[in-house]
Amino acid sequence: MKRNMIFRRIRSALITLLLSSAAIFALMRFAPGDPIDFALGLGPGDMGVNMDMLNERKAELRKQYDLDENIFIQYVRWLKRVVRFDLGNSMRTKIPITEELGRRIPATLLLSFTALVIESVIGLLAGFYSALKAGKFQDGFIRILCVLLGSLPAFVISLAALFLFSVKLHWYDISSRAELHRLWLPAIVLGIIGSPQIIRMVRSEMLSELGKPYVSAIQSCGLPKRMVVYGAFRNALLPIITTLAMSFAHLIGGSVVIESIFNWPGLGNYAMSSILIHDYPAIQGYTLLTVASIIVINLIVETAYLLADPHVRRSESRSLKAAREVRTHEKKKVFN
Amino acid sequence: MKRKRCSIKTVTGLVLLLTIVVLIVFAPLFTDYGPYEVNSDERLESFGREHLFGTDRFGRDIFCRTLYGGRMTLFSSLGALAMALIIGVLLGILTGLYSQTAFDVVLMRLIDVLMAFPFMVLAMVIAALWGSGLDKLLFAVVAVWWVPFARLSRSIVIKIKNDSSVCAARVLGASQMRIIFCELLPKTFSSVFVLSTFELGTLILSISALSFLGMGAQPPQAEWGSMLSDARSHFFQHPYILFGPALFIVLTVLSLNLIGEGLRDMLDPYEKTEL
Repeated sequence: MKRNMIFRRIRSALITLLLSSAAIFALMRFAPGDPIDFALGLGPGDMGVNMDMLNERKAELRKQYDLDENIFIQYVRWLKRVVRFDLGNSMRTKIPITEELGRRIPATLLLSFTALVIESVIGLLAGFYSALKAGKFQDGFIRILCVLLGSLPAFVISLAALFLFSVKLHWYDISSRAELHRLWLPAIVLGIIGSPQIIRMVRSEMLSELGKPYVSAIQSCGLPKRMVVYGAFRNALLPIITTLAMSFAHLIGGSVVIESIFNWPGLGNYAMSSILIHDYPAIQGYTLLTVASIIVINLIVETAYLLADPHVRRSESRSLKAAREVRTHEKKKVFN
Repeated sequence: MKRKRCSIKTVTGLVLLLTIVVLIVFAPLFTDYGPYEVNSDERLESFGREHLFGTDRFGRDIFCRTLYGGRMTLFSSLGALAMALIIGVLLGILTGLYSQTAFDVVLMRLIDVLMAFPFMVLAMVIAALWGSGLDKLLFAVVAVWWVPFARLSRSIVIKIKNDSSVCAARVLGASQMRIIFCELLPKTFSSVFVLSTFELGTLILSISALSFLGMGAQPPQAEWGSMLSDARSHFFQHPYILFGPALFIVLTVLSLNLIGEGLRDMLDPYEKTEL
């Protein structure tokens, strides 16, 4: 039964991956403007001095980039190359995209992982506390704080932090290197921005766990409150971990604003600069990498959940659904 | 006790939102300047009596530009939300009604694919390929934002489509159209409304973030995001330029979130507040 479900999930993830790759390919291919013109650095109205030579060169490039074939054949060829991790060369630097992206992955992973740790610590502590004090002043305070934090755009927080810590206090130096002493500020900002969602989720998971009959039952048996709460916390932990893992996927893909403001040399920053100069293969590679990593992480998390949760039945369990709900929200909220 | 506290949130949010809307709609009453009025003698001034939020690098009054810019921002966000809402709710009701059919499978697959794209990335790609501008940005927003509405209304419709009232309408010979618009649509309304207050807030945040990166409205136009992106280049020397539009974005989103929170507390009986 379980094996069957896992198999179904893998199959569905593969289909999603295939469709996404087709969508990315189509998006790039059907965009207005000739990529060859961009590659040669020509604007839409620019004319060459020697039109014959220009057209010859264009045809040559067109052949080199496989642009003169049927669109479907182009897609299949592209897909074949992608499977072999060949994403083409950057139009600007002529270096393979895989290499360009690979060089920037560690910086992004480092930033997202640190942010995830900060986010989890704040989220678990505040959410847990808020659930214990539900309905009291402290709970209301934390919830209002969450609403307030959720209303602050990421770039406002980042700019304010950057101004305070680097211009006023000189604690943070502005450069473009990924060094450990430059990590703390963007990581904290990213963590704080993501934390309201986690606080809310931990709080509601805890409350729904504490509202279950077994809690009243063990409470009536006279178990101390500390142990009751601990038991409920352990039961609520599974969906919480699921959500955290899924939020990691989106941290990898979505920290564009933060990376570009703090000039952190990660994937988002690279994508941003590629967009400004219309480097098609780079944008394509970045999008593909982000989407694929999100799909793969989600697949791993869901499979692990299936294996770990004894309650999972044929349909999705309530908590997994809840986790997915939160994820869809988070996807947008965290990174604005 | 519970009701009272919730309504305080909603009322605060409503008052805040109304104030902002009044300020924006009747902008000419509150400011003596024009949004494109350049004054080279008063460039990059800080807060003061003459210019409440200071002036930008062309000597334009930021308070005035913020008010006029709000029209653009709020109007375009509302428009995008309305489009996404209509598409999302209609598709959601249809898939809910015909769940387990090919149509449903295809649409859910599409939603899966869209959810795998982080919104910022998709919007950036669209901006990169089709060029930047508010209209393209709004297109990207609508292309993604219908998903939560579709998912929500689908789940509601699946839950209620075999209710006795819907069955009764069917027995009485109501057409499919009538069932959709008179039976199912009103029942999704309250949840969709709560969701849309939150979504409008995130939408404004996203639009301003993308405009800040230079992908939305282009500089001469008064719009919150583009004003921020305009201020970005000399932010470290003159940080107060950012204050006006940032404050208005924060307050607008805050008011929407407060309204949403209050409404959700009132409508959602499952959120326990007592231990």
